[in-house]
Amino acid sequence: MREESTQTREGTDERPVLPVDLPAFSGPLDLLLHLVRRNKVDITDIPIVDICDQYHATLRAMAELDLEVAGEFLWMASWLLYLKSRTLLPTASEEGVADPRAELVERLLEYRRVKEMAAVLYEHDVVRRCLWGPVLEPTMTGPREIELDWEDVDLRILALSYLEALQRFAVANPPPMRVAPLRFTVGEKMRELYRRVLEEKMLPLRRLLRGRGDAEEVVTLVVAALELARLGGIVADQRRAFAEIYLRPGARTLDVDALLQEGIAGGS
Amino acid sequence: MDHDTLSAVVEGVLLTSRAPVTAAAVAEAIAEESVTGEHVEHVLSELSELWSGAGRGLHLERVAGGWRVVTPPQIDPYLQAFHGLKARQRLSQAALETLAIVAHRQPVTLPEVNFIRGTNSAAVMRTLFDRGLVRLAGRKAVVGKPFLYRTTKDFLVHFGLDRIEDLPEPESLVQEDSTLAE
Repeated sequence: MREESTQTREGTDERPVLPVDLPAFSGPLDLLLHLVRRNKVDITDIPIVDICDQYHATLRAMAELDLEVAGEFLWMASWLLYLKSRTLLPTASEEGVADPRAELVERLLEYRRVKEMAAVLYEHDVVRRCLWGPVLEPTMTGPREIELDWEDVDLRILALSYLEALQRFAVANPPPMRVAPLRFTVGEKMRELYRRVLEEKMLPLRRLLRGRGDAEEVVTLVVAALELARLGGIVADQRRAFAEIYLRPGARTLDVDALLQEGIAGGS
Repeated sequence: MDHDTLSAVVEGVLLTSRAPVTAAAVAEAIAEESVTGEHVEHVLSELSELWSGAGRGLHLERVAGGWRVVTPPQIDPYLQAFHGLKARQRLSQAALETLAIVAHRQPVTLPEVNFIRGTNSAAVMRTLFDRGLVRLAGRKAVVGKPFLYRTTKDFLVHFGLDRIEDLPEPESLVQEDSTLAE
């Protein structure tokens, strides 16, 4: 089909004639009903061969215009082809054979009713949209209590209410606070740091911290170093910003264990 | 409660209610033995008459089993301009067809709607659902247990119907000439 269309375009300027009006059809039945009306034929006695050809011509036109043709249109096309073949084939006995078009006619009649109803709703919709009702400010309505008719309560609203109730419950009953066990204590780190400073006389703090991957341990170590410096047990030295910090023994000699037992180090 | 106060209360209730107001609900809220539903109904019809005249920007309509205050349609362009409303979204042809099927055949399942329309209506149904025009009404006891759909009270309000039975029968709409001509 593609080749065919490019040929006509390249050859003369004879483009395939498109039907002038190609309204958007809301489905294959809509298109079929449109054709029946355009041909001014009785819906219960559709000339299936003509209508089938016109239906296919319209589909081709839609393809020409690059309109997306949904699968349902193609399904209907094949049904029409089937009906066309049934109509063209001679039947053995004319008597007692059900009209192959019967189901199609029934569906078309039903769809026509729907279209008429839709037209009525459309008329209402057009007028009713021009009406303005009371608009309540959120502050006026107070706590959000939606007025609901019992018959308008459906599964979705029930599900929403359930989720809301769960949320309210979660807010009213927060999960118990989890207290993580204390893995490092300042006292323990003070002991360790002070011992090493006394032993090594000069302890590079930054290098020491770099070796520890645990944030909690790093924080504890820094606090311990600050505490020792405050008590005068060690002196911290840094040449310039971001340079290594050296810890050296301070002017006072501390008995860390005793201090900790008195609670001085931890408290103040 | 004297008549003037009752009249004022009813007017106030109408102006502050989004949903249609029933006389019984107003009487219940007032909770006085001297005020019955009939009294309120009487006041409502008085108001309806008062507002029905020309030169009024308010109008009382009977819809979805109650009363609702709305503006008359002819002043809509000015209201739109005043509130800076550019364009209104209309319901699409597919949406109207789907609504028509639900309204007329409810409760109805999506596969049934698809069959009648000859096309998949899932997205359309979803839109109607989100707009509060249709609601779920359980499941049908057939294979797959599809959801059943019904129209909502908002549907009645939007289309100005007192009851769903006020919709015309489709048979009465179809005239043979209209299909042959066109």
